[in-house]
Amino acid sequence: MKATKSTEVTGMSVDWNTRKASDDRTLGPDDGELVVSKLTKRFGGLTAVDDLSFAVRQGEILGFIGPNGAGKSTTFNCITGSLTPTSGTVWYDGEDVTDLAPYQMVKRGLARTYQSFRPLRDRPVIANVALSLVPDSLFSLSGLRGETRAKARTVCDLVGLGDDLETMPGQLPHAGLLRLELARALATDPDVLLLDEPFAGLAEQEVESLSALIARLRDERDVTLVVVDHNMRGLLSLVDRVIVIRFGELLADGTPAEIRHDPAVRDAYLGGGV
Amino acid sequence: MTDRTNTERVRSIDRTTFFEWLDPRTKPARHKFGLIGLGFLAVLPTVLTPLQALTVASAFFMALFAMSWDAVSGYTGQISLGHGVFFTAGGYTSTLLNLEFGLDPLLTIPLGVVVAVLAGLLIGIPTLRLRGPYFALVTLIAPLILLRIFVVYSDILGGATGLPRPDQLFGLQAGDAIVTYYVAFGLFVVVLIVLLAVTRSDAGAVFTAIRQSEDAVSSAGLNPAKFKIFAFTLSAAVGGLAGAAFVHLPVGSPTPSSLLTLFVNVEIIIAAMIGGVGTIVGAAIGGMILVLLREFLSNLAVTVPVLGVSLAEVDTIVFAIVTIGIVYYYPDGLLRSTITLGRRIRAWGASKSNDRSRLSRRQPRETAATSEETVNEGNQKHGGNGNER
Repeated sequence: MKATKSTEVTGMSVDWNTRKASDDRTLGPDDGELVVSKLTKRFGGLTAVDDLSFAVRQGEILGFIGPNGAGKSTTFNCITGSLTPTSGTVWYDGEDVTDLAPYQMVKRGLARTYQSFRPLRDRPVIANVALSLVPDSLFSLSGLRGETRAKARTVCDLVGLGDDLETMPGQLPHAGLLRLELARALATDPDVLLLDEPFAGLAEQEVESLSALIARLRDERDVTLVVVDHNMRGLLSLVDRVIVIRFGELLADGTPAEIRHDPAVRDAYLGGGV
Repeated sequence: MTDRTNTERVRSIDRTTFFEWLDPRTKPARHKFGLIGLGFLAVLPTVLTPLQALTVASAFFMALFAMSWDAVSGYTGQISLGHGVFFTAGGYTSTLLNLEFGLDPLLTIPLGVVVAVLAGLLIGIPTLRLRGPYFALVTLIAPLILLRIFVVYSDILGGATGLPRPDQLFGLQAGDAIVTYYVAFGLFVVVLIVLLAVTRSDAGAVFTAIRQSEDAVSSAGLNPAKFKIFAFTLSAAVGGLAGAAFVHLPVGSPTPSSLLTLFVNVEIIIAAMIGGVGTIVGAAIGGMILVLLREFLSNLAVTVPVLGVSLAEVDTIVFAIVTIGIVYYYPDGLLRSTITLGRRIRAWGASKSNDRSRLSRRQPRETAATSEETVNEGNQKHGGNGNER
């Protein structure tokens, strides 16, 4: 399931010296499991995402990097349907999913986590996870027990919340809430998982164990992952490929090694941090 | 390995048979008390005067109205400020069909429910797909519009004073207090069971999740709008049923003042808050307390000192003060407070016990109860319900 680490990006060579790499790229529905084509999102006069195109290949871990305010979360929101793009197309599994609602995307196998955690604070960890296992039908008799509970428990164990099944979210530390967020997304059995800044606010060893978990999800569960971060700390060793955006535009696209030495990226980060 | 044993344990818990599930001895204490309460209500008429029986029967209807409201507003957090629209849709439809076409109440009541459901869809589909206060605003305005329509077409719809009394259900007379009591009680039990079944199922878990965060529900692959509209329609159906049955019994009448006015719409919310929002059972208890307490106060032959007026004359004020007191001291409602108190007493009893072996055996259970108490919020009381049932 390992993605091939090639310098070639979605079948097209990219000149790393031009700042806007997106200009001459035209992507089609079959260029990846998830394809974003010429995505633009404007809020009034502000262009948050500007003609952004990229593809996510099946089975890869893609780093999605950009400075604060680069439009990473807006891109995510457009992909998952919580925002309607001003223009552009999102293809998932070869189908146009631009206008689908968030819950429909989840049902198709594209789950996400939020940068600001959204646990259900009125119920324990296991019930939080079990909600993701509830079928989207009004007259389901399964109830939050039996098989559902056992499945929820398995997911909790996977993300390392096995000892906190009955803990209320309010009592979890930051890292625990992140794992809960991850568990709720994983319980929907996604094929593609978008992680919005999962490393923010984590201590060094937590970053490592989360990286290990993300790698496991790809290797053992065949989940394709897109990991957002605003810097490259720890991320370059985890990901197969990196996309860097700035001011809502694609800045660079390549392997971690290429990104590390890309002058435009170095420039974007003021020569530091990479 | 641990995972596997856990899974097996969970399975074995769930492999109880239906008859074991029915056995009240397997239930947690609060369910036992609930069943005892229902048993008490079932034999209560033997000690009541006919007038008292009618009062309790009307209390059952207030409980039904409050439960109807709780099913949508208490659970999904979408506050309906005009639930009387559904009581009216049910009650008026049934009355008009009976008066105009001479149809039997047993036929017109279900038709009243159908119209209430249609009214629910009419209001719910456009407003519940949106987030924010639109739903509350529309439900606030809906009764005003309806009342206006009644006044404009007052030759058919009876205006502000309401419609004439329709045929009584089963041909009941005002004197048939005991039968009236049991009709109301039967309806109460059926609705209670239906609403408990829905709210304790997956759907109920989704309802309360919507109250917490619609984004969380969406990200679980569930369509919040669908579940909100379902809760609202179910609530409208229950409200329509209660309203339609109400007008065909000696305790009710097809008038705006008993089904539609601001007072009715606010009263049911107060009832649900007294008992505990988002529990169904709490709304039922609150509705009954509201009617019985008010009745009790208006019958007191006590003169308020200093003011020199009889208590019966200012019963509404006293009632309001008592209500504010309850809501202030028990913001989660009487039901949750009582359950919490019960757990404390049980924990206290267990810790008083000198029998160390018994103590250690009970320990895990008490700890679980205490941890549940500390986060007594929202529908927490029923959080563990799924596996205890």
